[in-house]
Amino acid sequence: MRAKSTNAADSGTLAIGASLSLTGKLAREGVLTQEGYQLCQEKVNAKGGIDIGGTKVKLDIQYQDDTSKPDVAAQLVDQFNDKGIKLILSSYGSANTEAQAAVIERNGQLMVDSAGADNKIFSKGYKRTFAVLSPATEYAASIVKAIAELATPKPKSVVFLSADDGFSKTVTEGGMKKAKELGFTVLDPQYFPNGTSNVSSALTKVKSQHPDVIIGSVHLVEGVAIIKQAKELGVKPAGFGESVAPPTPDFAKTLGAQAENVLGSSQWTDATKGTDKYFGSAKDYAKDIQAKYNHAPDYHNAEASAACLALVLAAEKAGSSKADAVRDALSGLDTESFFGKIKFDSTGQNLYKPMSVIQIQSGKALTVWPTESAEAKMIWPGTK
Amino acid sequence: MSTSTQTPPSTNVPRQGISGAMRSAQARRLFPWVLGLVGLLAALGLQSQLYSGQERTVATIFMFVALAQAWNLIGGFAGYASFGQVAFFGVGGYFTAVAMSHWHFSFWMSLLLSGFVAALFAVIIGIPLLRLKGHYFAIATLGVAEGMREVVTNLTDLTGGGAGITVPTVGNNATTAYLGNDGFYLLFLGLAVLSVIVGGLVARNKFGYALRAINQDEDAAAALGINTTRMKVLTFALSGFITGLVGASYAFQQVTIFPERLFDVDITVLMIIMVIIGGSGTVLGPLLGAVALQFLSEFLRQNFTNLHTFILGAIIIVAVVLLPQGAVNYVREARRTKEFSLLANVRKYRL
Amino acid sequence: MSGFLQATVYGLLQGGLLALVAVGFGLDPFLGMFVSAAVLFVFGYVLQRFLINLVINGPIFITLLLTFGLDLMIVQGMNLVFSADYRSIKTSYASESLAFGGVRVPLGRLLAFALAVAITILLVAVVNRTRTGMSILATGMDRGAARLMGIRARHVYALTFGIAAGLAGMAGAMIGTVGTFNPSAAASFTLMSFVVAVLGGLGNMYGALVGGLVIGLVQAWGGQYLPGTWVNALAFLVLIVVLIFRPTGLVGRAFYASRQEV
Repeated sequence: MRAKSTNAADSGTLAIGASLSLTGKLAREGVLTQEGYQLCQEKVNAKGGIDIGGTKVKLDIQYQDDTSKPDVAAQLVDQFNDKGIKLILSSYGSANTEAQAAVIERNGQLMVDSAGADNKIFSKGYKRTFAVLSPATEYAASIVKAIAELATPKPKSVVFLSADDGFSKTVTEGGMKKAKELGFTVLDPQYFPNGTSNVSSALTKVKSQHPDVIIGSVHLVEGVAIIKQAKELGVKPAGFGESVAPPTPDFAKTLGAQAENVLGSSQWTDATKGTDKYFGSAKDYAKDIQAKYNHAPDYHNAEASAACLALVLAAEKAGSSKADAVRDALSGLDTESFFGKIKFDSTGQNLYKPMSVIQIQSGKALTVWPTESAEAKMIWPGTK
Repeated sequence: MSTSTQTPPSTNVPRQGISGAMRSAQARRLFPWVLGLVGLLAALGLQSQLYSGQERTVATIFMFVALAQAWNLIGGFAGYASFGQVAFFGVGGYFTAVAMSHWHFSFWMSLLLSGFVAALFAVIIGIPLLRLKGHYFAIATLGVAEGMREVVTNLTDLTGGGAGITVPTVGNNATTAYLGNDGFYLLFLGLAVLSVIVGGLVARNKFGYALRAINQDEDAAAALGINTTRMKVLTFALSGFITGLVGASYAFQQVTIFPERLFDVDITVLMIIMVIIGGSGTVLGPLLGAVALQFLSEFLRQNFTNLHTFILGAIIIVAVVLLPQGAVNYVREARRTKEFSLLANVRKYRL
Repeated sequence: MSGFLQATVYGLLQGGLLALVAVGFGLDPFLGMFVSAAVLFVFGYVLQRFLINLVINGPIFITLLLTFGLDLMIVQGMNLVFSADYRSIKTSYASESLAFGGVRVPLGRLLAFALAVAITILLVAVVNRTRTGMSILATGMDRGAARLMGIRARHVYALTFGIAAGLAGMAGAMIGTVGTFNPSAAASFTLMSFVVAVLGGLGNMYGALVGGLVIGLVQAWGGQYLPGTWVNALAFLVLIVVLIFRPTGLVGRAFYASRQEV
């Protein structure tokens, strides 16, 4: 094997590698992630670049398509390494990120994770991957917390309907644990194949148990299916809550009136508190995304920009672009930002930023929890 | 009427005489092996010229060479197009992952066992399914591959289900040191060489002729005394064995594997395209097809980040329309008939 | 006939999108689907006549490869033109359901079912009673003989493919009303259509209907009595078991498997 070439931080630019899912089944989220990275690059370079030990260095994020496959995502990390690019921004999704994290560790690179939330990634003793987003266990748990705090009359029973991929299962575990802690009766969870648009058997099974709350650990397709088919089958709990799906614009657009009052959890909303020197506040960020990409900001945009921001701030703090120095700076980072608090625990996860819980009201996703960033009151019961 | 006293007109016997002819025939038989040896040495030499990441890319090319050659045995020679080939890949991969993480086997032991497990699996599904023909066989094997993916996703305690399974490579649980990009380059090269040798051996001996006979007319082959069921099942098992070995190596290389990837129908489709574009039923065909297609797809993906799938689709269409019988077969026919025009080739196959 | 099945991939999605466009113009999607069917019919016909017919005489799987290449191009093309967003078609009534005792029958799916049955019956009638239909059957049975009888095989193949594409377009529209779709959903629908067609049996128009009903029932029952994640495995198991005991599918015709390609 040929010896690796020298670090690519040549005069004036800092090259960062990003492997994204631009084609394949994660294409939609991959494009949103790319938008987030691009906005970050724009903002940073507009201020002249990153201040590394006194010199301003421009950010240059290089993109490659991993076709939504984890093995390609991992291979791309190796290919970036060949070119001497040591600082990496993650791909979309827990599977891809997990594959990449293994290679990062072996090659001595550094990766900031924008979209891989599964706690499993961080239980392997990796020291070179840091996630800015809240872990998977929080996705459903935050909805449970919000209901416990704000729903009156307080519901008694909860059932989880979950897709069977690793991420969704972790979400369910976290949610069930929190629900039991907070005194809810937790019925047996029902699982269905990942990506299915037919969840009728799960719904039929829980119909006879009359749960007060149905929480879905899902993605967009199954999330829409739960709401649609619940109506078709006459399943009417006091309220619905789902991970991932409700904050996306497609959800409300697709379901129309049926989406009203569905709860969802989000990594970020434009009501999130916190500011930083590159993006300003959450509202500023929302305006920038709308102006540049002509759509309302999705939390996938925000988590991507936040990952890039964390890398930039760490490089500035370290005064160097060498992977080891930036890594050390990152592990000690503790700062506010448009995304909320960015701080990492010893495993590399960001446990210091709460997830927001939104509710669809009049077709818009409004933050209802935590109460200090709430834009509206939670409507309960959610179904009439 | 009798012409036995005259010397027969010499058409095929070369000027050198009988021994010369034998030497020339021997040379013709040895030539592919010599070529293969040269190729192997070139591949080994190439390794020192590549960066670590590029090694990984080339290792993937070798992986597809092995997969294509293995498919060619059942799909090309015997004519039974298995659309579920990835089932063996996945079975091999998952067996290794489970053996290494649950039972603490070493990789090499798991590798060998995975091959046999995949072959056994091939025998079990082959006996009932190889009775089917054409589309039905194809879809039935596809059903097996998809079904296996679902089964693996559901056996969560054993395989980790949708969350995937990780081969231990660090710490006390690691039974074999991780091979690294260097090691995997050599491993996949070895598998590619193995598959080409097996393909070459099968092509040239009675076994291969029996398969071709089955491909052309199964009833006639049976009438000739060939035990078609035994031949088909054996081929399927051999094909499964090699594919299982490849799957096992892939599992170790990826460290964490998921059912959707290890049983992905895309892998089967890619294998088949490589064999058909290269020329099915030949030894060189799958080799060339795999190298060309994988290299092309990688090149397009790196340089045309947004359009690569689109362009690849277009190229496949053009290749399939111009060379429906595959590149190697086209060259052979063209040399024989001296008809090199591609347009004539298209006319031959169109309606 | 093998490429016949591949038409599903783009037909489905394109149909859904076209129906979406028709809805935009104010047409109810269940009517708009006829528009998408017509558009796709033309598209499919042209495609078959001028591209796919080029390789018909080759080994059978060449056609599959060609359509696979097309699949790559068209799905990615749709990704680029229409974006990868999920879409769905809203109707006021598709999610309403009729209640019979304790059982609810969702209206959208009921309509889709009715349409599927109606179309199958229509197709069977066309194929068995009209001259065009007969020529399709004849070409399927023995292309050489059909051509000798004066049937224009090129046209017949193109017609068949066009019909397939049109039907897929209608299906796409129906799927749009009961669920969501996006370009990458193509693969799973293609897979299912292959499975259903082969399970039912090729060579018989009722085959697809039978296959679809069987798979639907198996999955529904499976979902009720087993953990929900086993439904797909069950569907494939049924496919394999049926093929082992009835090698030409449930109602398929034996001649189809052994016909000569001339």
